[in-house]
Amino acid sequence: MTPLEILSSATTGSPAPRIPVFCNMPDHGARELGMPAKQYFSKGEYVADGQLRMLRRYGYDNIWSLHYVGKEAELLGCREILFADDGVPNVADFVIKNLDDIAKLEIPADITQHPAWQPIADSLRILRSEIGATHPICAYATASTTLPAILMGMDKWMELFLLGPFDVRDELLRKCSDFSQQEIAALRALGASVLIYSTPFGSPYFVSRKQIEQIVMPWMRRDLLPGGSENLIYYCGMAPFNDVIDLIFDELHITNHYISPLADIAEAKRLINTRGLTCGAIDDIKMIHWSAEQTRAEVKRIVEIGKTGSHFLFGNGVMPLAVPEANIQAMVDAAFEYGRLA
Amino acid sequence: MLDAYIQSYNQAVFETDKPAALEVVNQALSDGLSPEDIVFKLVIPAVELMMALIEKDPDANLAQHFMTAQIAADVTEKMLEKFSKPPEMIGRVVIGAAYGDLHSLGKRIVSGCLKSLMVDVVDLGTNVSAEKFVDTAVTENAQVIAVSAMMVHTATSEKGSLGVRTLLQQRGLQQQIKLAVGGAPYRFDPELYVKVGADAWAPDGVTAAKVIVDLIREVKP
Repeated sequence: MTPLEILSSATTGSPAPRIPVFCNMPDHGARELGMPAKQYFSKGEYVADGQLRMLRRYGYDNIWSLHYVGKEAELLGCREILFADDGVPNVADFVIKNLDDIAKLEIPADITQHPAWQPIADSLRILRSEIGATHPICAYATASTTLPAILMGMDKWMELFLLGPFDVRDELLRKCSDFSQQEIAALRALGASVLIYSTPFGSPYFVSRKQIEQIVMPWMRRDLLPGGSENLIYYCGMAPFNDVIDLIFDELHITNHYISPLADIAEAKRLINTRGLTCGAIDDIKMIHWSAEQTRAEVKRIVEIGKTGSHFLFGNGVMPLAVPEANIQAMVDAAFEYGRLA
Repeated sequence: MLDAYIQSYNQAVFETDKPAALEVVNQALSDGLSPEDIVFKLVIPAVELMMALIEKDPDANLAQHFMTAQIAADVTEKMLEKFSKPPEMIGRVVIGAAYGDLHSLGKRIVSGCLKSLMVDVVDLGTNVSAEKFVDTAVTENAQVIAVSAMMVHTATSEKGSLGVRTLLQQRGLQQQIKLAVGGAPYRFDPELYVKVGADAWAPDGVTAAKVIVDLIREVKP
């Protein structure tokens, strides 16, 4: 079976030789190509090449088209990204510097015509043409209720979210939701077969369940209205969200859930059961200092909890660049070995 | 009576309802509490109670931490203007986000709580070099340097906490200035603080204030 077929089997619960094994390493491609991060992310061809080389080297099932999260801010007017050769790029220029900027914020009529979109489109076209028929191609879209954090800074957004003025907050959310709708549609049109819907404000680690139900949920519903929730994975930026899994099923009809290493994976599997896909993630920050044996042991623990009854995928967080290559290989090998299905 | 105020105040904070929390403060003032009483008998015990609650219930959410700090800092600032004489400060901390890190929510929560606990806060902002942390701590006579890092590479970089530790060692300041760290990577690996040379860490901003106060007391009994 191809990795795409294995993922499909895990989602539907039909027979497969093993669980799907995903690996998320958006920043490693630059090192793979031996170039600075800023240069690597400047062209879609580089990103596609770096990701394809890592796929061949480690042999996991998926491939990533994500450049960096700040790319969404660039599409909305951010002029400076702080690149680092040892880690994740940061937004260095907030589009919204004060509340008056919210009224001025304009969502492009067609984000695919924006120059910042071209590297994304180029990488997705290459990935679809090279391995789209056999491998899941992952793309990343930020939810409207989280997008403001990269447009104005998390503390300013938290303040506006909680204290208002609420008409200004809702104006910003409407604009962000318009952007999310466009972005999701554009990524699907380019051949992304798995969409990571990143929604940290949809986690009770960020805000209360009541706030999720009353404020966050209506905007998430709006984000997903045009295209539906098919092939979407609910992801809260590695924050736990077991307490709202049922709510997400009921309100958003998202059936695939990326579970935080800080959450109880057994509880998550029980909650999701055969209704959808439980994605169990290893704590890859600990992998920086673990041995290969410790990495294998943790993969075994997670996979043995999750794989019973299928409907399970193994994955990681954001794989820091400081994680030794031997541990990445040990993680992938162990996931294949322990993820075999009878 | 005070217990009732503390309970109502904390309930409002837990529900992230700032107007309700301020109403409790105003009610306490009109019932005869002095600005000093508001800070020392209401806000500080309430923040300490919140710390204890968060310790027992680590699932308290980020919005609650944020509002705990914001409301406590706002009320304290307003009350301090009305104090009959300036209060004695517990100590001083230099705080900032690590070199290469532009996230400011965590340090804002910590700073808000510290201010309400009568700790002087020198906020260096984001993307702060190790040299600037140490130089400022020396010139400001701070007992603690607090380095926030929301990304793994800024937490583990030689230019972050490790750099601060190196400078403290080189300058023979390890007994006078303690180093605290916090931020998302430390939640995922609770042993990471040792590897980056820190004396202490905290899993959230509110608890960090308690950890920093404890470090200040180690240096300045």
